[in-house]
Amino acid sequence: MSKIQNLELLVVGGGPAGLSAALAAANYGIKVSLTEEREFLGGQLIKQTHRFFGSEKEYAGTRGIDILKKLIDEVNKNNNIEVLLSSRVLGIYEDNIVTILNDHKMKKYYPQSIIFATGASEKFLAFENNDLPGIFGAGAVQTLMNVYGVLPATNVLMIGSGNIGLIVCYQLLQAGVKVAAIVEAAPKIGGYSVHASKLRRLGVPILTSHTIKKAIGKEKVEGAVICELDSNWNEVKGTEQLIKCDAICLSVGLTPLVDLLKQRKVKTTYVSELGGYVPLRDENMETSIKNLFVAGDVSGIEEATAAMIEGQIAGLSVAKRIGKNSKDEIEERIEEAKNELELLRSGPVGKKIRKGLSKLGLNHGKNYNEKFSEEALDISHLMKTGVPSEENLKNKLPSEEKVFDKGPIAISECFQRFPCDPCVKSCPFNAISENGNINNIPYVDFEKCTGCGICVSKCPGLAMFVIHKNFSETTSVVIMPYEFLPRPHKGEIVKVFDREGKYLCDGKVIRILDGKFQDKTAAVSIEIPKEYYLQARNFKVEEGNHG
Amino acid sequence: MRIQNHPILCFNRGKQIKFYYNGKELIGYEGETIAAALYANGIFKFSESKKLKRPRGIFCAIGHCSSCLMTVDGVPNVRTCITPLKDGMRVESENIGVEINE
Ligand code: SF4
Ligand code: SF4
Ligand code: FES
Repeated sequence: MSKIQNLELLVVGGGPAGLSAALAAANYGIKVSLTEEREFLGGQLIKQTHRFFGSEKEYAGTRGIDILKKLIDEVNKNNNIEVLLSSRVLGIYEDNIVTILNDHKMKKYYPQSIIFATGASEKFLAFENNDLPGIFGAGAVQTLMNVYGVLPATNVLMIGSGNIGLIVCYQLLQAGVKVAAIVEAAPKIGGYSVHASKLRRLGVPILTSHTIKKAIGKEKVEGAVICELDSNWNEVKGTEQLIKCDAICLSVGLTPLVDLLKQRKVKTTYVSELGGYVPLRDENMETSIKNLFVAGDVSGIEEATAAMIEGQIAGLSVAKRIGKNSKDEIEERIEEAKNELELLRSGPVGKKIRKGLSKLGLNHGKNYNEKFSEEALDISHLMKTGVPSEENLKNKLPSEEKVFDKGPIAISECFQRFPCDPCVKSCPFNAISENGNINNIPYVDFEKCTGCGICVSKCPGLAMFVIHKNFSETTSVVIMPYEFLPRPHKGEIVKVFDREGKYLCDGKVIRILDGKFQDKTAAVSIEIPKEYYLQARNFKVEEGNHG
Repeated sequence: MRIQNHPILCFNRGKQIKFYYNGKELIGYEGETIAAALYANGIFKFSESKKLKRPRGIFCAIGHCSSCLMTVDGVPNVRTCITPLKDGMRVESENIGVEINE
């Protein structure tokens, strides 16, 4: 029989939470073993080609895949971390002995503490024919497409409009796949408005109060029947419609993967706001079993940024307990991380999480400033359609038309309160402000703005535009973010669209900022007839124009 | 069905390798999973459900749902979505044409 290996900390799961936990502890001298089921680290980060929201401190504005590179690099450089890939934790016993299957061999470990960062699994949906090939979980589409470079289909119907559904739709379009529509059973869009707006500009319909009835096809998906729902979530008779598609992607939520925790008899409880059964835990992420911590989606479904901070809190808490020195410093860092989490969760989009946490008896020990838990603007139309209302727009445009006479100015089309600040941090002229709270809506100070266009590439929501109304007697220029292929050429004529993806006019490409700084979110200046400067928000480059 | 050019990603595919699907020779790349290689070759039906003979394909792609099970080099019930493709591998559909008598 193999020897039992003693360890200070075992981290189960190599996603954002696990990596952050391992690093936080190892940086204070704790010996860590990090196990990951797959043959590579990264969890969901490996598929995230979009820039992250959240605060700059936690890598906001950076693409998930690049955050991952940084984390892995740090892990590899850290001598206190041993990484066990292709390693499955099979069991954890009452005496805290953990068995791990690695390379067809069973290994036994006796860790002083464990952090479970096992993540989540996707929920399924009941409808006729839901087992056909061509029906995927959203994560599967992302894995095939972004990890292996394999196209899952040519025309996809997305079910669910949460952030994952919206993000995957955008990534499908980037990979050259058509998105037939996004179907959402709730009366409003589940994800952030900026993600939805991005898709609408590209012409993807978002059908709120709709659901899928059945999938069509014999060997493989050939279409779907969808229908409308009334306010009681009942089908509206006579609204059935057939959607042609060759894949159906389900993005109907995640549920924490608590199986291993249950083995160790960690107390769990059902909290719908957090995705299902979640472990009871304290503010330091410690479960009902001493020295057994959780972090990330397994502790409740939230964003990757929150998962990374939770990982840090768990890792630091272990370091504080085992460590011999720097306890005050660790304590300080734990406090900092907790404050950061609290800030992230303090806006209206954090409401659900806050409610879920309070059911676990957690409220970060403080009451949230309720001022931030309401939207500043009426965004009901935006959240139903993905398109901002006239009222919303008026709020963000200069109050006096003559401001446009000054020259190019940035317009922020971000109307929802959610934790995000790369626009604020990116502006070298301090022209964008969120009034001290990351959950506030950004406003541009038109006096300070020089129209440089830096924010256009830095906003992860692609919600920043620069408008130069009086570019010439008859034309205006709009700088728009662009993340597609083919890339435009200077002088090229492109098709220009409005916020609903409707064709407006032709435009001429007059300048392209597409260097290292823009990091693949080009800022493209398009000259258009003056009458469209308030509508032109997207453009397409015709494939045929390129050799 | 492979992505050639992508605005954000660049795919560093491994070396080309041969493998067999129900006896037919196909090309895949080192470093990808069996499921990804099959899908890239336009194969979406991996098996049939035992009783009702309903087609099965990838659903989760991360080893959680068991809908991608196939026989690989004679070993049944391999989760092809998390098993790396190897040179010369023989991959076979499961339960296709098999009668179950109860
Ligand atoms: S265009 Fe330049 S100056 Fe104006 S808000 Fe954006 S980054 Fe700041
Ligand atoms: S405008 Fe600012 S707050 Fe809104 S999505 Fe862009 S970076 Fe985030
Ligand atoms: S597709 Fe789910 S286990 Fe392979």
